[in-house]
Amino acid sequence: MASLRNVAVVGFAQAPIVARDAHRIATEMLYGQVRAALDQCGVERDAIDFQAAGSADYLDGRPFGFVAALDVMGSWPAKPDLHLEMDASFAAYYAWLRIQAGDSDTALVCGYGKTSEGEPDRVLNLQLDPYYQAAIGLDPTSTAALQASAWMARSGATDRQLAALAARRRAAGARNADAQLREPTTADELAKTPWAVEPLRQGYLPPVGESAVCLILAAEGKAEKMCDRPAWIRGVDQRIELQTLGGRDLSRSAGAKLATERALAMAGLARAADVDVVELCATTPAEELILCEAMGLDAAGSRPAINPSGGPLVGNPVMMAGLIRLGEAFRQLAGRADGHGVAGARRAIAHGAQGHCLQQNVVWVLGDERRWT
Amino acid sequence: MSASEPPKEPVKYVEKQVHLPYCYVAGDYKARYLAALKDKTILGSKCSRTGKVFVPPIVASPESFAPCDELVPVADRGIVTTFCIVNIPVIGRAIELPYVAASVALDGADISIYALVQECAPEAVRMGMRVEAVWKPDGERQGSHEDIVHFRPTGEPDAPLASFMHRL
Repeated sequence: MASLRNVAVVGFAQAPIVARDAHRIATEMLYGQVRAALDQCGVERDAIDFQAAGSADYLDGRPFGFVAALDVMGSWPAKPDLHLEMDASFAAYYAWLRIQAGDSDTALVCGYGKTSEGEPDRVLNLQLDPYYQAAIGLDPTSTAALQASAWMARSGATDRQLAALAARRRAAGARNADAQLREPTTADELAKTPWAVEPLRQGYLPPVGESAVCLILAAEGKAEKMCDRPAWIRGVDQRIELQTLGGRDLSRSAGAKLATERALAMAGLARAADVDVVELCATTPAEELILCEAMGLDAAGSRPAINPSGGPLVGNPVMMAGLIRLGEAFRQLAGRADGHGVAGARRAIAHGAQGHCLQQNVVWVLGDERRWT
Repeated sequence: MSASEPPKEPVKYVEKQVHLPYCYVAGDYKARYLAALKDKTILGSKCSRTGKVFVPPIVASPESFAPCDELVPVADRGIVTTFCIVNIPVIGRAIELPYVAASVALDGADISIYALVQECAPEAVRMGMRVEAVWKPDGERQGSHEDIVHFRPTGEPDAPLASFMHRL
């Protein structure tokens, strides 16, 4: 593979995930995070060459809402800017590409959105095709339940196993100051909760959450000055699958599998299991198990640690849950994960997803050392 | 009709209605701005670096990127910096045509707000004209933009262009 530029995550700030911020609008939530991320790096906004964001105007209910966000990402003097109607982890991918293109050395990546102000199930229904899928009222919970059914039928996984996994993530969430669900609970308790959509119980699913997130990327030469322990991006890949749910095997994630293989190859690693920490953007326990299979990970193993932050099961702010995974990988490698830090973490995988049933996947492989010399 | 035969009448379109309800918060700064309108007070926020005052108040200066955490009252009068005369009805707005939509730089503010200018002939409105807010009477103001019914000329001498060029 041709030599690429070494690029690292050098800063990350996240507003604690809450069900509803009853006072602030999205820009007011985001400004403090952009400020905090710049402060971590010891730079002002003029040190940033490129900026990218992920959010959904339909979730916010504000046409061109992303333009308002420019005011708190810094809009003067104007910088090259990109907005994706996708999880901000994909915006980070575009920012990484832009840095590879060579005209930018640093990038600000933001995710934001006030999901609590609308009805996300109705909005996300519109991601499906309007003729056959959206028309019958499918929402993310019902499509996730279709996927969970397909997984359980093929793997033999039981309701009890989903409950146990959800309980483990709740225990992890209790140690993560930014998580929304911070009360540990037992698999027994979760298995008693009513169905959200069978076979998924309410206790297995994250509630609506909102946050605001800012992550900073920098190329070699600047990264070391902006962060004492940069998390170097050693490999990244993204794959998109069919929108038509019936057109793919929902019990598998072919996209996550391929993206993982390509990202690992770029990183020079043989197996996903060779990393210390994995952060998966899985919004149901079944999705997490499907991703583990796709990546070749032992969901029940202790190393690599999977979702030590608790993952999206303890806080799922739509459009930024994926970027938070990348930020969490950075926190682990930079020694900034505080209460949920994994001792001795030197390599990490961060996964991001978008769309129903893991339609789109991005996989990042990070390490505490540069990939290319 | 069997499945192997195409329909005789082609399906030309599928009709779909989308209904998306929202419940917005005003925002930390805008909530205080709106509440102050009840007391006939217009609040701006002051940039901690440049001292510029933004109306309505915002959390940070898009120009300097510094926080604007001090809320300051500005005057309910100012200068028409630019304007247009509307001759076409706008959906949802029942104002007699033609009317003037103007950009008004309030005294003490560094950016202008949009406002209706009434109580004069549209052709009499000009850049630099001094105007003042006409408020709803006491007891009728609810903390909304409509608490200011419109702006009207004060009759003071016009402001010279140089005094508001940076606030267009």
